[in-house]
Amino acid sequence: MFESIFQFLFKYQPLVYEQGEFVWGSSRWMSISVLVAMGIATYALMTYRGIRGHGPRDRAVVIGLRLAALAVLAICLFRPMLVLKVAVPQQNFVGVLLDDSRSMQVSDVEGLPRGNYVRDNFASTDAPLLKTLSEQFVVRTYRFSSAAERLESTDELTFTGTGTRLGDALSRARDELAGLPLSGLIVVTDGADTSEAAFDTSLAELKAESIPVFPIGVGDESLTRDIQVSRVETPRTALKGTSLVVDVVVTQTGFAGQVLPLVVESEGRVVDTQDITMPRDGEAATIKVRFKVDEGGPGRFRFRIPEQPGEQVQQNNARENLIDVRDRRVKLLYLEGEPRFEAKFVRQALENDPNIQVVLLQRTAAATPSAPAKFLRLGIDTPEELVGGFPLTEEALFTYDGLVLGSVEASAFTAEQLRMISDFVSRRGGGLLALGGGRSFAEGGWGGTPVAEALPVSLDATTAAGAYFSEVAVLPARAGQAHPVVQLAATEAASNEAWRNLPPLTSVNFIQSVKPGASTLLAGEDSRGADLVILAAQRYGRGKALAFPVQDSWLWRMHATMAVEDTTHHDFWQRLLRWGVDGVPGRVVTSPDRVEPREPVTLTAQIADKTFQDVSDARVVASVRSPTGVVTEVPMSWTVRRDGEYSAVFAPDEEGPYQVRVTATREGESLGAALGHLRTAPSDREYFDPVLRTTLLRRLAEETGGQYFQASDTSQLPDALTLSGRGVTVVEEKDLWDMPALFLLLVLCAGGEWVYRRARGMA
Amino acid sequence: MGVPTRTGDGMTITTTQRRSLAFIVTAVLISLGLTVEAQRGFGGQRGDGRGRGFVQIEPNLPYDGRFTFVRLRFQNFMSRGSQWIHDYPYGERHFMKILNAVSLVNPYTEANNILDLDDPELMKFPIAYMAEPGYWMMTEPELAGLTAYLKKGGFIIFDDFRNYDEWNNLEMQMSRVYPEGRWIDLTNEHPVFSSFYAIGSLDLIPQYFQNYGTPIFRGLFEDNDPTKRMIAVANFNTDISEFWEFSDRGFRAVEETNEAFKLGVNYIIYALTH
Repeated sequence: MFESIFQFLFKYQPLVYEQGEFVWGSSRWMSISVLVAMGIATYALMTYRGIRGHGPRDRAVVIGLRLAALAVLAICLFRPMLVLKVAVPQQNFVGVLLDDSRSMQVSDVEGLPRGNYVRDNFASTDAPLLKTLSEQFVVRTYRFSSAAERLESTDELTFTGTGTRLGDALSRARDELAGLPLSGLIVVTDGADTSEAAFDTSLAELKAESIPVFPIGVGDESLTRDIQVSRVETPRTALKGTSLVVDVVVTQTGFAGQVLPLVVESEGRVVDTQDITMPRDGEAATIKVRFKVDEGGPGRFRFRIPEQPGEQVQQNNARENLIDVRDRRVKLLYLEGEPRFEAKFVRQALENDPNIQVVLLQRTAAATPSAPAKFLRLGIDTPEELVGGFPLTEEALFTYDGLVLGSVEASAFTAEQLRMISDFVSRRGGGLLALGGGRSFAEGGWGGTPVAEALPVSLDATTAAGAYFSEVAVLPARAGQAHPVVQLAATEAASNEAWRNLPPLTSVNFIQSVKPGASTLLAGEDSRGADLVILAAQRYGRGKALAFPVQDSWLWRMHATMAVEDTTHHDFWQRLLRWGVDGVPGRVVTSPDRVEPREPVTLTAQIADKTFQDVSDARVVASVRSPTGVVTEVPMSWTVRRDGEYSAVFAPDEEGPYQVRVTATREGESLGAALGHLRTAPSDREYFDPVLRTTLLRRLAEETGGQYFQASDTSQLPDALTLSGRGVTVVEEKDLWDMPALFLLLVLCAGGEWVYRRARGMA
Repeated sequence: MGVPTRTGDGMTITTTQRRSLAFIVTAVLISLGLTVEAQRGFGGQRGDGRGRGFVQIEPNLPYDGRFTFVRLRFQNFMSRGSQWIHDYPYGERHFMKILNAVSLVNPYTEANNILDLDDPELMKFPIAYMAEPGYWMMTEPELAGLTAYLKKGGFIIFDDFRNYDEWNNLEMQMSRVYPEGRWIDLTNEHPVFSSFYAIGSLDLIPQYFQNYGTPIFRGLFEDNDPTKRMIAVANFNTDISEFWEFSDRGFRAVEETNEAFKLGVNYIIYALTH
């Protein structure tokens, strides 16, 4: 409508004005003649001032109207015109890129799939738009998804591509049409680009070569009824038997307030179901899902909300993540400086855990001037293990995954041992847990030591002044409520209730603050009402450091209010130690990802020696075993970017689970090996956020000098291409002096003066 | 940190005898003797009837995390007096002083607790001692209390009883707690005898009184499996707390008293770590 009125008044479409260059077409003599004539006419008008019997206002109106009429006339006489470069018919090429990805199956174009629109308008020779374009241009059609290729026949459009790489597709078309007179590229897509990298490079290339892009947006900018599991954050690896708390982000439209189940499945087996209330339309809700990983090996965990009636996209109701559940035995060294019940009950909590081995080094008698300290060693693997007490070398200490320091004073260690403990966390990536007690923290003289640097709590010297003892009621801190260590029950509410019912513990370490980067997971209030830190954690280098400044967590087992069958103490310690050593790196670490078949994946490995010093001169090979058992040896090279980091690119061509075994040697000596897993499967990324991305497509048009069109109105597209100014063009001049708008203006000025004179009685 | 250790039979212990226990015992006992003499005359209640006269039962200590010796109080079978109190308080006081001197346990040395089996406070002290279990009777609440105590992780030392009448009573009472439990004779191979001191031979621990046969040390184990946690130990046909009690009197040879102390220390260290 607007364009029709515009064209009626101004003779041409807005597009012509946008593309054309405005010029005055009259010759110099003609211009001079017009100026002289205007001057005389203006002088004559000045004589109107002599009209008597009327006020200055009347004279001003009459003069104004007459001058306006003269100005319009003058404009016409100067012969305004638009100069355009018009493509010569059949001399130019146009590239048409058709989105062939899965998201084009979404039915939101008048209730039909987006792909239907593409087929009807661009893939059939009878399609009116394609026909019009073909009359003007030589049309080259491509289909694109993860890759782009020439479209030879309509049948090739299947809309099953598992990715949309818009930038790659534009670059491919540009390269293929290089050297040909190209009027522009048409991209028919929903703009749901799934490539990891931005398409800025492609955009810059197009801008540099002045190739305009004309995107046609297909689909709706929002779905009316859809549930989407937008994101699931799971750890890449977990120790078998670990209880995980996973964030699941859900978005939806059309189901606000409904309670729907969220199902967690592992290899087809339901491991957890949780009812969740759908958030408001368009809002994201983060749901904490708790489940335990009981099966060893790489496992696919699927987080699914069952498909609901009327959903436009059902494939985005589920997310699948790979978790490498490691069925190995992590080994912790627990050094207890004085015989006390905490050690006994920690051992009891973990004695049947097949994945955690606790080696207790129990100091039973103090060193004297004539004799060293006396130790009891329990849970050791060999008679020689810890035979000299606490390890004296990094090599010996770093064989453990975690270290628990009980009530033992800092002076029991040499300066070198203290540094080793700190390095155990920061460099080796081990987990350190410091327990409360009379010889712990500030009371044990740990302030100012390298270990204190690693600890998540502040060891204020004043805390060591005077004996402190208090009962402490323990509750989850705000940061801890959703933390896996603190979960005592299936839901957050039930867990908090369980905490409230636990008996109080006691502490002799008055610790009230954590370091800036640390989190307080459990907090307590002592008998005087002071707030205490009960469990705090922080990352320190590659590892984790935790502080648990209470002396008798075993009361959660023994206390009279705890039922014999209650497993709180057992569960808490299993979770605490599992989390503490979770992610402790082995000496070779692989970091593959989930990819599509034939999609290149970068394998990376961090190589270190026995003391966890990074090694950059190792020979590293990844043995990649395909699902059918084909083994490919992929040499890995040092990345230079980071000490000890090696990488290699590999493109798996089979679908299914791959096994990656990385081995490292240096000078013929093995540095170790590690196993990683990689899964190749068609990506379902296309179904997530599958709405029309107008902003991206408009940007593409604006930055390349093209124009964005909605699928519902592409009538101007052929003209836009014709006037793009690219390719083989001819210059066309389009006169504007005879546009109806000028004529109407002239009539309005003259008619207005006549009406005014009549109304005011002016002759 | 310290050094010497030797491995033995699945359990490892430190064995270097850095201090002479005899020396420590002698030194401690001299001080104990003075203390004990000073305490006499403060009595007020019927004592153990073994030459100590009346003894004052002192109030219990509140729990504060520090090791506290707990003596179990019970009703007597056939109303034969307060058998549970035998050797109180000198037995445990002397023992705690030795424990404090030789180890890092840091127990209360001048006080201890006396608790009933159905007292909720008992759960805060996972090691308990019972004298004269041959006369022990349990009420239903006590049975429930002891059952929970042992299942959760408590450890109990039975001491000071002799002849099979008394043994049968202990066995009968414990069968109410642990019906499927089976007492197993211990040898010096068991880890409890190497948890602190390496006790090479159990024959070194004599019967305190004559004519009751040789001492037998028996244990009750989780799942009746001697490789698992021992939940109770019985010093049958002997009375190690008698050695403790009269260690300041010189009634028995210091060497024998030493063995009784060593046994006690090992029980405590074992129960604190297993």
